[in-house]
Amino acid sequence: MNGTKILAVDDSPSMRALLHNALAQKGYIVDQAEDGVAALEWLESNQPHVLITDINMPRMDGFELIEALRQCDRFQDLPILVLTTESSDEKKARARNAGATGWIVKPFDPEKLCAAVRRVTH
Amino acid sequence: MSVLSDLTAFSTPGRERRVTVIQGDFAVNGEDGLVLTTVLGSCVAVCLYDPYAMISGMNHFLLAEPLPGHDIDPSALERYGAFAMEQLINGMIKRGATRKSMRAHIYGGASMRGAMGDIGKSNAIFARNFLDCDQIMVVREDVGDAIARRIEMRARSGQIKCSHVPVSNAMKIATFNRDINPIRDGGDVDLF
Repeated sequence: MNGTKILAVDDSPSMRALLHNALAQKGYIVDQAEDGVAALEWLESNQPHVLITDINMPRMDGFELIEALRQCDRFQDLPILVLTTESSDEKKARARNAGATGWIVKPFDPEKLCAAVRRVTH
Repeated sequence: MSVLSDLTAFSTPGRERRVTVIQGDFAVNGEDGLVLTTVLGSCVAVCLYDPYAMISGMNHFLLAEPLPGHDIDPSALERYGAFAMEQLINGMIKRGATRKSMRAHIYGGASMRGAMGDIGKSNAIFARNFLDCDQIMVVREDVGDAIARRIEMRARSGQIKCSHVPVSNAMKIATFNRDINPIRDGGDVDLF
């Protein structure tokens, strides 16, 4: 798992720090973006192995980010995990239709999250 | 202006509606005549008000005291607290608030006697750190000491009244809080 690059997209600096700590402890290389717009900017010149995104964010939310990435050849196969406080089936279906690879409801469990990352990268 | 300037407003309830925010829960509302309320021991409530969106929010959480004989990973508690904070902040943002314009109050975190230890203090420190990190301005704190607090927040105006409740009642709250284990399962993964 070491060397796996993850982009974590969340508008809360506290949540990004928590996510960074949990994943870095397991040997992942974690970059961060504060919303969909910042993520797209970062992705112009970087290629992570996995993207983990929140849904509710200013400027560009998680749904819009997933849709934008799936329209781009380079990110057709990028595993995208949604990590959110939302638990409604409607939002989950929307993420799935947008092209998300998986859906994880907070509060997150680092073991389950890492297991999911391993599964989508192998 | 979220600090209460007219205390008498609370003594004339009229047609007001009250919503009680219990431990582990949160509420976001901007309705005129609605009051968000809770009672705190060592738990913490963060109250947020956005004066532009005219929206109030309140959560009520406890980072938890490990049950006797159980060790709880401190980072698990932090994730739980972060979840309580994020739910509240997201609820505010969905209703038009922004981190920049929101103002925060922190209440509770009492040091209850007995087995509660310093969990109250940890709760208050956690809330303050989270708000600092998320760059949300804290305008008032009433935390610590061996007292319970009753919080009443007017949803439309964001006015908040924090009353101190006698210690005899406070002990009941401490006992009540201890019976609840806030650590819930989460993080289940659905791969599509």
